[in-house]
Amino acid sequence: MNASSKRRGLWLVLIPMLLWIGLLFVLPHVKLFYLSFVSRRGGEFTLANYLYFFKNPLYRRIFVRTAVFSTLVTLLTLVVSFPLAFIITKVAGKRLKAMLLLAVILPYWVSELIQAFTWMVLLRESGVFSYLLQRLGIIHHPVEFLYHDYTIALGLVYTSLLFMTIPIMNSLDTLDDSLIEAAYDLGANFWSTLREIIIPHAAPGIMVGSIMTFMLNLGNYVTVTLLGGKNSLWFTEIIYNQFIIRFNQNKGSAFSVILLTFSVVFVWIVLKVTKQDLSEAM
Amino acid sequence: MSPEIDVALVNVTKKFGNLVAVDNVSFEVPKGSFFSILGPSGSGKTTLLRMIAGFEVPTSGDIYIGGQRVNDVPPNKRPCNMVFQRLALFPMMNVLDNVTFGLRRRGGMSKAEMERRAKDALARVGLQGLEKRKIHQLSGGQQQRVALARSLVLEPTVLLLDEPLGSLDLKLRQSMKLELKHLQARTGTTFVYITHDQTIALAMSDTVAVINRGKIEQIAPPEELYRRPATHFVASFVGENNKLTGGRVLAVRPGPDPQVEVDFAGLRMAGRAGEDLAVGDTADLFIRPEMISLRPGKHENGLLGKVSEVNFDGSHSLVVVDLVEAQRPLSLNVKIQHTEDAPEVQPGDVVTLSWRWDAANAFHPVAQPSTEAEV
Repeated sequence: MNASSKRRGLWLVLIPMLLWIGLLFVLPHVKLFYLSFVSRRGGEFTLANYLYFFKNPLYRRIFVRTAVFSTLVTLLTLVVSFPLAFIITKVAGKRLKAMLLLAVILPYWVSELIQAFTWMVLLRESGVFSYLLQRLGIIHHPVEFLYHDYTIALGLVYTSLLFMTIPIMNSLDTLDDSLIEAAYDLGANFWSTLREIIIPHAAPGIMVGSIMTFMLNLGNYVTVTLLGGKNSLWFTEIIYNQFIIRFNQNKGSAFSVILLTFSVVFVWIVLKVTKQDLSEAM
Repeated sequence: MSPEIDVALVNVTKKFGNLVAVDNVSFEVPKGSFFSILGPSGSGKTTLLRMIAGFEVPTSGDIYIGGQRVNDVPPNKRPCNMVFQRLALFPMMNVLDNVTFGLRRRGGMSKAEMERRAKDALARVGLQGLEKRKIHQLSGGQQQRVALARSLVLEPTVLLLDEPLGSLDLKLRQSMKLELKHLQARTGTTFVYITHDQTIALAMSDTVAVINRGKIEQIAPPEELYRRPATHFVASFVGENNKLTGGRVLAVRPGPDPQVEVDFAGLRMAGRAGEDLAVGDTADLFIRPEMISLRPGKHENGLLGKVSEVNFDGSHSLVVVDLVEAQRPLSLNVKIQHTEDAPEVQPGDVVTLSWRWDAANAFHPVAQPSTEAEV
């Protein structure tokens, strides 16, 4: 096969992906970007949509809350996922390994919407948890577990657990067990081995998992709205309101661009600060 | 426990489920000696070493290091360090950080002091100036040295080595072998080295323990192991041998070293009784190919043979001789050194073979081929 026909073949294979990205990702974002810079009536160039965001303290606060909350939930997911990934790859025997892995994957057999509904059944005032705790005598009247920040955190950790656990498992898989033994042999304890050997080795996996989890949290709508209720104060809700309730596509677009820009810049900064290379990490 | 003993195992047994990996093993390693544990793969030698290091807990029995019972001491608190088979250098750190790792864990030392000691240890293994290199930028032999320096810098009572030369190519292995021995002599640290490679064990050790199927077969200096094997397994596992099977003991001359004569296909062969043998017993005889003397032509005392093959092998030749007076086909391999007065032979030549009686060792046959130990 010569070089030019090879290149033709490559393009042919790439066509579905290019169409996918072009039609469903690039084009809508170009439109979104365009809409964010024009006025709702008349359609002339304006920065008013952006200024509206920056002038409104409520929106700014919700934005900051969403960013901080997403970051905290990402860290929380990491804290839950890392021991899980470590146990699955390094500690568990064959059976336990399969069981744990299944337990992590199983929830994804149903959609995020159904997962959220399940949490609602469990956590609402007349739900399973409230009932059980009353029967056990721990609480004495029905308690509403829904519509709290901790409920949102719980739901978000649950929905992104897999995306954090799998990349960390991948990176831990390549860690030679004798490295851990060598560290112990040289006098290290559990924490110093974790800090100096295991985490540095798993860093690319932690990075990939954290980026995915952070993006999923930041852009989440279903879980946040259903478990957090009307007052969950998540930025995606503000965007939704602009588009659907107020029919203001231009402000909605501007808010979307702000969220998108923030997430890209934030990830870029984190990568720079931790000296990770995205292509290497992925 | 004598203070001159650095490592002692007393009736140590390790079971994994039904499998007995180490079976009632006891030995003592004197301070400052080079002690090897030699055995085929699956013989339990790795388990033995991992128990000394603390990565496995004995099912029964006691382990002492430097006079202290260490059964309940975790690996990070034991006064011994291990050089791993695959070295297990930390790829995320440079050479210096690898070597200072143990010192940093120990603490109570300034950073400058740690670096001074690390550089000192690296110098001892011949790696000056490579402190800032990444592990993957080093050659196999250099990595080997870093692994040694990383352990030696901690000045352990005992250094455990898990066949670290196994992954090197032949030339490098030969030179590292000597270096390791010199290093041991210089530092005076007690070395416990496990290997399946007898040339390494024989060349480096003060004492070798041969282990098979979890049991110690013999503990002896290399030369004694080679010349006076204690068991059928040691005789067949250590060194090259002519192994003659199914002979009948004709005569036994008792003494501190009982001498036997064994009949093989109508030929009387002399040997040393490696264990108790009685007239009429069945026996196997092991004769070292380099201990057989070969004289061209027909002579009075000795076995008459005809050369069937001459295999040139550099410093020596391996000559295959058919014993023409035997009642069934029987042949012996003879190793001739290419010295000035070495006999020159061609295939077809008539020769006479003989050996000192104590150059051959006779044992009772064993039920199973003992070199094929299962894992």
